[in-house]
Amino acid sequence: MDKDDKNIEKGFLSIFLTSFTTIFIAELGDKTQLATLMLSAESGEPLIVFLGSSFALLCSSIVGVLIGKWISTKISKEKFALFTGILMTLVSAWIGYTIFNIDS
Amino acid sequence: MIINLLISSFITIFIAELGDKTQLATLTLSGTSKKPLAVFLGSASALILASLVGVLAGGSISTFIPEIYLKLIASLTFLIIGSRLIFDYLNK
Repeated sequence: MDKDDKNIEKGFLSIFLTSFTTIFIAELGDKTQLATLMLSAESGEPLIVFLGSSFALLCSSIVGVLIGKWISTKISKEKFALFTGILMTLVSAWIGYTIFNIDS
Repeated sequence: MIINLLISSFITIFIAELGDKTQLATLTLSGTSKKPLAVFLGSASALILASLVGVLAGGSISTFIPEIYLKLIASLTFLIIGSRLIFDYLNK
């Protein structure tokens, strides 16, 4: 129980940095970034596109946080960690699979 | 015209982002930590920065770094977080 608490009770800054790094890495070269890029190039109004897409990303991030919180109240924390762990491993495998299909 | 562009950017990105791997990561981080505000601030600032890079670069970051490396890094990050969560579960 002690060990469990230590795992979860990390500092604000540490959680902030973990979230920032994970999301930033996941987002680079992602389809969202490509869409932002295309909208910005097509319209010639990068500032407006930046405002619109930033706001959309904020909203989707709030949705993600709220869904995560909601699910974690419905099922036990251990089960939640296991399910999302499996899901993330699958996503990793899927990204890995697409690497080998970039050229085709 | 500007409002139209603002709204269409918002809708395009919001829909592209729903159910994306980024949201899955946010969801996991939020559900497994007790500080949703920290998760929100961290992921929101990362997303805004990534979007700024997308707008400013005029070519995405994949112009400078080949896509294969970006995908490799993303894949490894997800693998590390995912396996750590599973490992923690089996080890408790």
